Amino acid sequence: MTFLTQKHLHRRTFLRGLSATIALPYLDAMRPAGRVLGSRSTETAPTDKTRVVCIESVHGAAGSNIWGASKNLWAPAGVGRDFTLNPEGALASLEPWKKYLTVVSNTDVRMAEPFDAPEIGGDHFRSSAVFLTQAHPKQTQGSDLYVGTSFDQIVARRIGQDTAIPSMQLCIENLDQAGGCTYNYACAYTDTISWASPSQPLPMIRNPRAAFELLFGAGSNNADRASRRKVNGSILDWMTGEMGTLKRDLGASDRHRLEQYLENIRELERRIQMVEARNSSGAERALPEAPAGVPDSFDEHVKLMFDVQVLAFESDMTRVFSFKTGRDASSRTFPESGTNKAFHPASHHGGREAAILDFNTINKYHVAQLPYFLDKLKNTMEGDTNLLDKTLIMYGSPMGDPNIHNHRRCPLLLMGGANGKLANHLHLKAPDGTPMADVMLTLLHKLGVDDMRSFGDSAAPFSLSA
Amino acid sequence: MSHTVLHWLQGVVGMKLLLASSGVLTALTLTMPPTRPPREAPSPFRPLFTAASTHTRNVTAGSRGISSRALSTVVQRYCGSCHNATMRRGNVSLAGFDVELAADDPSITERMIRKLRAEMMPPPGSKRPTGDTLIALVETLENVMDKAPVNPGTRTFQRMNRPEYERVVRDLLGVEVNAGDYLPLDTKSANFDNISDVQSLSATLLESYLNAAAAVSRMALGDRKAVVTQTMYKASPFGSQHPWDHVEGTPYGTRGGIVTTHTFPADGEYEFKLNVGGGIGAKREDLIISIDGEQVALLKYEKGIARNNESADFPAGADYVRSEPIAVAAGQRKVSVSFVRRTDGPYEDLIKPHDWSRASQGTASAGTTESPPLMDVSIKGPYKITGISDTPTRRNLLSCSSTARAAQRLCAEQTITRLATRAYRRPLTSHDKASLMAFYDAGASPASKTSFEDGMQNALQAVLASPYFIFRFEPEPAKAVAGKDYRIGDFDLASRLSFFLWGTMPDDRLLGLARRQQLSDKVVFNAEVKRMLADPRSEALSTRFAAQWLRLQDVDKVHPDAFIFPDFDERVSRAMQRETELFFNDIVRNDKSIFELFSANYTFVNERLAKHYGIPNVSGDEFRKVQNVDSTRRGIFGQGSMLLQTSLGNRTSPVLRGKWVMEVLLGTPPPPPPPDVPDLEQTAGSKDGKPLTTRERMELHRANATCRSCHLYMDPIGLALDNFDVTGRQRYRENGAGLDTRGQMYDGTQMSTSGDLTKALLSRPIPLVRNFTENLMAYALGRRVEDYDQPTVRLISKDAATKGYKMSSFVMGVVNSPAFRSKRAEPVSADASSH
Repeated sequence: MTFLTQKHLHRRTFLRGLSATIALPYLDAMRPAGRVLGSRSTETAPTDKTRVVCIESVHGAAGSNIWGASKNLWAPAGVGRDFTLNPEGALASLEPWKKYLTVVSNTDVRMAEPFDAPEIGGDHFRSSAVFLTQAHPKQTQGSDLYVGTSFDQIVARRIGQDTAIPSMQLCIENLDQAGGCTYNYACAYTDTISWASPSQPLPMIRNPRAAFELLFGAGSNNADRASRRKVNGSILDWMTGEMGTLKRDLGASDRHRLEQYLENIRELERRIQMVEARNSSGAERALPEAPAGVPDSFDEHVKLMFDVQVLAFESDMTRVFSFKTGRDASSRTFPESGTNKAFHPASHHGGREAAILDFNTINKYHVAQLPYFLDKLKNTMEGDTNLLDKTLIMYGSPMGDPNIHNHRRCPLLLMGGANGKLANHLHLKAPDGTPMADVMLTLLHKLGVDDMRSFGDSAAPFSLSA
Repeated sequence: MSHTVLHWLQGVVGMKLLLASSGVLTALTLTMPPTRPPREAPSPFRPLFTAASTHTRNVTAGSRGISSRALSTVVQRYCGSCHNATMRRGNVSLAGFDVELAADDPSITERMIRKLRAEMMPPPGSKRPTGDTLIALVETLENVMDKAPVNPGTRTFQRMNRPEYERVVRDLLGVEVNAGDYLPLDTKSANFDNISDVQSLSATLLESYLNAAAAVSRMALGDRKAVVTQTMYKASPFGSQHPWDHVEGTPYGTRGGIVTTHTFPADGEYEFKLNVGGGIGAKREDLIISIDGEQVALLKYEKGIARNNESADFPAGADYVRSEPIAVAAGQRKVSVSFVRRTDGPYEDLIKPHDWSRASQGTASAGTTESPPLMDVSIKGPYKITGISDTPTRRNLLSCSSTARAAQRLCAEQTITRLATRAYRRPLTSHDKASLMAFYDAGASPASKTSFEDGMQNALQAVLASPYFIFRFEPEPAKAVAGKDYRIGDFDLASRLSFFLWGTMPDDRLLGLARRQQLSDKVVFNAEVKRMLADPRSEALSTRFAAQWLRLQDVDKVHPDAFIFPDFDERVSRAMQRETELFFNDIVRNDKSIFELFSANYTFVNERLAKHYGIPNVSGDEFRKVQNVDSTRRGIFGQGSMLLQTSLGNRTSPVLRGKWVMEVLLGTPPPPPPPDVPDLEQTAGSKDGKPLTTRERMELHRANATCRSCHLYMDPIGLALDNFDVTGRQRYRENGAGLDTRGQMYDGTQMSTSGDLTKALLSRPIPLVRNFTENLMAYALGRRVEDYDQPTVRLISKDAATKGYKMSSFVMGVVNSPAFRSKRAEPVSADASSH
């Protein structure tokens, strides 16, 4: 038995080492014409290349509790451009970033509420599926999952098709749940926030190295990557050829599953072609060494994942990320935050002030991870603009007050310039009863999905200007 | 007949008594004759009973001479006051429930059977019929349900999950891999990670398998073109590097350090960089690097020699110790790095928890000493590649004496055919062979000195990326008729068996029997199952099945508070997991009764764990069986794995222990707590200045009536185990007060020890046995066990009872069930996305 064998490479090593190179983003002229999925891409080719990051934080916030709200633990005092962030509140670390920040407070995620008696209490196993879909998940343990297509995937279809990888999904916590997921909810509802279709959950990558290799290809240098890509290309060709034989012998639902597999093959073939096309143009550029694996500390893990996202944006490998920073009902502790209380027990603060403040300490620590990302994006230039001006970051939770599992007055932050689509330096307080989906609908419009009439339980677009 | 009538009359009399003693609501219910609800459409499975047929129904006897009509009345009388259309407790209404038509709503009926068999309903404090009436009810319900023809069910094909991938690669190529480096996490359902319908597919997943295939094929054959990479192995902060503690796998006479398996891609030079944390009062140390047990370097450490800021969080700082380049031959090798041990005598360290090392950093004060710990080791290379040395894996794959191209191609074809047959778990078609040889040819050209090797690597990569390798397709016979059952083929049977019993691919013998179509022969089949159970590979039943069923992975999630449990470290918790695995494996290999799980007076320990439990005369890291450990430590309830995973870091949780027993062993999970309940931490920790025990705090907590209704079940079970502390040690006092572990099981049995709990559970074996069968079946089939499987579960359990509940009787029952051997063909038009 080996006890002390954790593979790990220090984050700084990953950032420091420069052992590989990758081609710069290819010229706009090289973009293949009219992709199937993004039917409008030829007309509104996004020359501004907006990047989108959707970050979920589970368990709501201390500021969604009535007392917490009165103390401005989440939503700031004052609305419009004149607002102050409470130095003791969860958003304190964003004070220097107000110029890039829009706080949208008081929106609800009511699709995460129970609709029927058997659903009561199952909030932790349902909420994550609701965050980016704003749709109500069908209660089932089986393969007949149904919720909605998620925000990031709708965006990816519109702006992600010009990149090798339309979107990527990352997570921090180990999703391993003893006994599966309870309340008769399939684990997929708890484990992922990205849904390619109402019945297709997308797996989230926890290992930063695996994320890096999916982005840039496995291999030790460019030549190695290229030769591996070539072999993978021929393997995919061969697989496509096998489909006929395979299908002939299988039952109906197996055949249906194979159809999905064939789509996956085609998607990978497309990725390879895009990368090849790009590599045959443009100058090569240094790429840091791949990270070794999953670090122990939350802080380091999150930063590594942010590093991967900045790299992906910089090299224009993908423009859309969804990032799940926690798992519902997790009892992880964050000793660096200042409290030793476990996440889930702390979220059930019982409405006691001291306990609410403890929970706020965890929220504050989570939000405090963001400035690292903002700073890194701001210091990465693309043409005349920095990446932060081109990126839209949405950070929120599908839960409000976790103590009573409600989904009202949920946390929601918008950050980054989104290519001039966000005015920022704003606190917008939504009228009571505004669905969070309204904000998402507006964002979809701003991101070029302007033909969308409604999203989830949206009632009307929500104005994001002062 | 007259007997039935008598019971019916008794029922009526009972009803009147109840009427007299209870409220109006009951009276109203009872004034109505027990009728079934109006039915909208005839059931497709049984003729609709008309008014005229009611007469016939009366003569259908229920179990134990009580008519089913009388039993329907029993349901209304004893269940109806909560489970009625208005109250719907537990979201169940039994209004108009008719025992004879129980099969019409299998989900309700199976829930009733489960609760009645566990004797959890009617709940404690509610009125129950006397005598064997409830038994008659549940037996009758079972009889009704078991009459239906068996449905073997169906499921979609399984995907090789992470643990299976690791085992298969080891068996196929002799290479140890960590599948987590490549593949996304497996989604669990119903306790297990191999449930096919939640194994969703995606482009990311497919790419992960491609990346894994590329990496594993290079690990197997070596990589001449490998560029310099650096891999870091980090020491766990929860492991001890104490002056006394030897880490298994490091040379004797050393303390602390790391043991790891590193893949050296080619023969060449590698640099080792050790990051050593600054200790207190110990300035110099010697470090030994060993590869495959042989010392390759002795390095000097001196505090401050090469400070680094990588460990700024470590108060005493850290230094790098670098090796000269060391020549290492290609292959997977065991690397160990450890300190030369300096202390032989007693080592006093009163301030720091001495077994806890780095986890308690920063607590030392003047006068204490601490040896420097090894924080991490980085291996960088290869430099100056000289070639690739022979390894068993390479010998196996590259056995070709000729250097002539044509002869090499022939060798390649033979090797690839042999390899792919095992990897695909079926014979290759000529088309398969041609496809793989095309990959060989592509890799082998242009001709060079290494073209044979390169071709083999390319073909191996294709095999590992192939859908035939990754997925376990089970072809449907051409003549299968929708809705009818068909037997799965011999090769699929071989795969089902071997992934169930061994967690890996079938061996050559199984494949041979399948090829000769002998495996489906009952005698051959059963003999094979026996052989497989006796094979060491059946350890997978404990490390895969039992580990998931008993949730051993949850042990890692609890970190006992270092200040309360200073002697606890990660080695103890790993040893606890291993203890339970070996214990279960012993039951499998020696075909013992599964009740040994509860009553065994032996267990498996190494020195560290024995010391922890207080078992004398065990020395060394090897685990061994110890008999009659002590009278209070019996079976799983005396094992740290169960006791630790159901505790919190700083106190035991009778609630979690009770819940674990109900969920994992009885299969009747309590409903989760409603939101907005105060947790135990919020109840006062002391009263009148006297600290309260966990029990006393629980009682305060339980004062709430809503909480009580479930805690009545959980708490007494957990309390009976409260003589074991968080880490599974015996204790008699808590917070200075004597422990009071007395409680009443929900059936009224008085309990105060784990022995009492075991006795209470074993007095009612059916729920335990059925729950075990159900878990074993779900794991074996790769699908959740549904209501329509319950007759099979009951049959297997009943049969096992006649065979002394031996492990093999459950395995045999499962593998011989129609669910394992057959599938129901789906309608051709089935659209999996539309249901």
